Parts: sequence; C-alpha cells; structure tokens
Amino acid sequence: MSGDWHVPGELMERYAASRLEPALVMSVEAHLTRCGRCRAAVPYEEEWLAGSWERLAAELDRPRPRFAERLLRRAGVAEHQARLLAATPTLSRAWLAAVAVVGALAVVAGRLSGAGPEIMYAFLVMAPVLPLAGIAAAYGPHVDPVHELQAATPMAGPRLLLLRAGVVLVTAVVILGALSPFLPGPGALSVAWLLPSLALTAALLALSTRMPMAAAAPVLCAGWFAAVLSGGALSQDDLLFFSPGAQAMYGCAALALTALTYTRRRRLDPGEPR
Amino acid sequence: MNPTISLSALSKRYGRAQVLDRIDLEIGPGVTGLLGPNGAGKSTLLRCLATTLAPDAGRASILGRDPADAASRTEIRRRLGYLPQDPGHYPHFTAFELVEYVAILKEHTDRRERHREVRRVLAEVDLADRAKTRVRKLSGGMRQRLALAQALLGEPELIILDEPTVGLDPEQRMRFRALISRLGESRTVLLSTHQTEDVAALCERVVVMNHGRTVFEGTPRGIAEVAAGQVWLSDEPPAASRLFWRTADGRYRTLGHEQPGAVLADPTVEDGYLLLLGEPAEAAA
Repeated sequence: MSGDWHVPGELMERYAASRLEPALVMSVEAHLTRCGRCRAAVPYEEEWLAGSWERLAAELDRPRPRFAERLLRRAGVAEHQARLLAATPTLSRAWLAAVAVVGALAVVAGRLSGAGPEIMYAFLVMAPVLPLAGIAAAYGPHVDPVHELQAATPMAGPRLLLLRAGVVLVTAVVILGALSPFLPGPGALSVAWLLPSLALTAALLALSTRMPMAAAAPVLCAGWFAAVLSGGALSQDDLLFFSPGAQAMYGCAALALTALTYTRRRRLDPGEPR
Repeated sequence: MNPTISLSALSKRYGRAQVLDRIDLEIGPGVTGLLGPNGAGKSTLLRCLATTLAPDAGRASILGRDPADAASRTEIRRRLGYLPQDPGHYPHFTAFELVEYVAILKEHTDRRERHREVRRVLAEVDLADRAKTRVRKLSGGMRQRLALAQALLGEPELIILDEPTVGLDPEQRMRFRALISRLGESRTVLLSTHQTEDVAALCERVVVMNHGRTVFEGTPRGIAEVAAGQVWLSDEPPAASRLFWRTADGRYRTLGHEQPGAVLADPTVEDGYLLLLGEPAEAAA
C-alpha cells in the first residue's frame, strides 16, 4: 500500500465492524500505524474505547500467580484468599522443601539403615513441631516484613493469623501425611504424630493470646522435646507419648485449646488493649 | 463539626519509659503535621491512632468510634490509610502485587474493581509505569511512593503518614506535597515529620511533641510567632548564646536574647520549633 493510498470507506466499515479476514485486518492496521488521516477516520465510541483500554491494562497488569497460589486455587480457594495466603512468609519453597526433606530423610534412612524403630521414633518426635515452626514464622512483627501495614487493615489480627495458621498446618499435614505410609513400622504408628501436631498447634494459638507467637513457639517446642524425651527415658517406653491413651489426651487438648483460642481471639489483634 | 480524632489522657509505656504521657488532642479535617525530635513519641502516637498498637490508658475516638472495641476497630481500619515509618515489603512481589495484596487485606474482593483501584493509586504516585517491576529493584524513593500508594487505597477518610517524605528527592517531595494538599481538601491527613519545611508548606495545623507530651498546638504561623522578637542576625558569632548557627550568607542566626550588634530577623517555623524544644541548636562551622 503506497503513501497515496487510503483505506476505502467500504473496507473501513468492514474493519470497524470486525468483519474482515485476519490477513486484511493486519494489512489495514499496518497502514493505520503510519497514516493519521485513516486513523482519524476509524469510527469509535468513547465508552467502548475506554473499556477496551481498561481491559488491556488489566490484562497487562494481571500478576502471574505463584506456585503456592496456583496450588491453593486448584484446591478451590477463592482468588483473593489464595493471593492472601500465598503471601504467607512460611509458604516459601524453602519451608515447603524443609518439611518435605525431613519427611523424605526419615523414609529413606528408615528403609536403608536398618534402624527402623529409631528412625520412626525420631520422626514422631520431630513431625509435630514442623507445623509449629511454620505457623510461628507465618505472622508477626518479627517474621513478616509488612506486618505493620497489615496490622492497620480490617483483616488484621485473628482473621489473618488463623487463615495463615490453617493453611500452614494443612500444608505440613499433607506433606508429612503423604510420606508417613512409607515409614518403616506399623501403619497406625506412622500417623501417631498427627494428634500431637494438632494439640501443639492449638496450644501455640492459645498461648499467643498471652505472649508473642515468636516467643510461644520455642517454649512449646522445648516443652515437647523435654516431655517426650524425659518421659520415654523414665518409663523405659519410648512410645509412651504416642500410645492410644496419649492420643486421646492430645485430641481432647486440641479441642479444649481451640475453644480457648476462640474465646480469646480478640487478643490476637495487635490493637486490642491488654 | 466533630473532630476526626479526639484523644483524652492517652498514655503508653514501654517498660519503664513513658512514651506517651497523657496526650489530649483533637484533630479535624485538613492536613495536620506532627513535629518532634527522635524519641518524642510521634510514631507511637501514630501507631495507636492507626490501631496497630493499644494504649495503656486514656480514651480515644477515631472517626467517631472507640478503637478499644474490636468491631469499632475494624470499622476504623476500613476507613483508614496508614503509611508506617518502616512499611516493609515482600521483595519478590511486583509493585502491582504489593499494592494489590494490601487491597485484598482492605477487603477489595472483586478482582476487576481491585485492579482498577490499584492502577489508580499507582498513577497517583507516578508509579504506573513501574507496576510490573519487582519491589527489590525499585529505588528507596520509589518504594516510599509505593508505600504511600497503598495508604490511598479506597480513598480513606483518615490518612496517617509516618515520616512520608523520607527518601524522596526534592522533585518527588514537591509532587508529594501537591498530592497531600489535594487529599487534605476533602479528608483528614495526619503526618509526622522532622522537616519544618514540610510543615510550613503543607500543614494547616501543627502539633509539636517532645518527651511524650504535646508542647504546642496551633498553626505554622503560630509556631513561628513563638520565636517573634527572639531571632537575631549578626556578622560575628554571639558570645553567650548556644542557640545559633552560621547561615548560607555567612551571617550568624541566634535564637534568644538580644545580641550586641545584631539585628532582629523574621522568625520561621524552624526558629519557633527549636525554641519550643529548648534544645541547643548545632553550631555549624
């Protein structure tokens, strides 16, 4: 198309009405980029044009969902909540990898070393504190770089903390749960970490209504290790803390502590008077 | 008209340190500046007003609601924009993603409307062309503008800005002043600063804090008038006063009693501020 050529009226009408074949559209648009006279002749509605620009801008700006967000969306979590949860500092690949590696190491070591019972015991002691560490690193002024920004929003406090704690707990349980059946030992014993894990998580949330979570988590971890190791040594039964009786106690404790956290949930808000 | 913020005997301690000491204050629509040295209690006061920190004693009413009540606190947060002194960021987020994240926290659940609002506030702070840049790659001034953008989400009725001009170059600071002035026409803006120039240029009202107490409330002109008759210019350094400095034209500006051979000068906001604090100014060589 030469410099003297301009888009004929009939062709322009078909272009504006989106009735042209793709090859002709490309040809017309190539001409429009060089010819102000023809550009001015393209009919348009202000509202349609503004809407088109907005749709284009929205498409260009739309963030690409990250790994954790894509997983949450696939699990049926709403778009805005998935984005909120995916920002949880704990849900980085590093933490996910750490949990997976601990579980995988237990499986591999248990299968290859011949020290099955010892490996199983170590796994049962370690597994409950993994969600605990993850939750402690999920929310708070010392672990979340934008905590102060978040604290002044309507989602601050219990809503955000419990959402994040929930997603970290579920993630840890899914990863460890997927590895547990491969551990050496009886099947029932390989999931004996689950109720202690829930009880410790509930204890962490309940304790956080009284003290900062970053301080509560180490206290609980230390208490758990001290109780399990010393209890096992004193009773000559390493699995005392994972017996059916103990499991019933963990279940009851988890329920009671969850109820206690619910009644005190306002204390999880940084703006709540103490 | 009811004040946007009303405080009565508000107090806060950190251990043995009394950071806020029975603050009584009323702040209405327009731009109010909170001026004071480091450790005066400005940030603590702003954190209490932004509902991220609970005071130990006293009463507060913010946007007509009591922040001590959980439901009222949430309602305040819905109508509040807050720029903390250290806003922080997720370095792997883009500028758009960070502001969008805060928009979600502010309950903007509809994606299309949320994206439109994010683009609006990014344009307000001249960061529209940086929407897809990762936050870690933005300069300090850009990050500060990004933090300001999130405070503008949802056109809040109350905007609290803690040291908002830190890290901005002179041109950005001028643009920032224009933006804040415009915002102050229709809502309440409370900003803390060390910069007396910001106060003189922006604020209709000023509150000066020192050692956890308010030591002045009034207009920028009112602060300057504190120093009326106490600002002197001389060619020689004063013999007795410690409140003096050498100005750009080589003369000595002295605050306080009349100096021999000195002439009276018009007071500025900075003169009044220094006299209010009662601290010796640094004598510049």
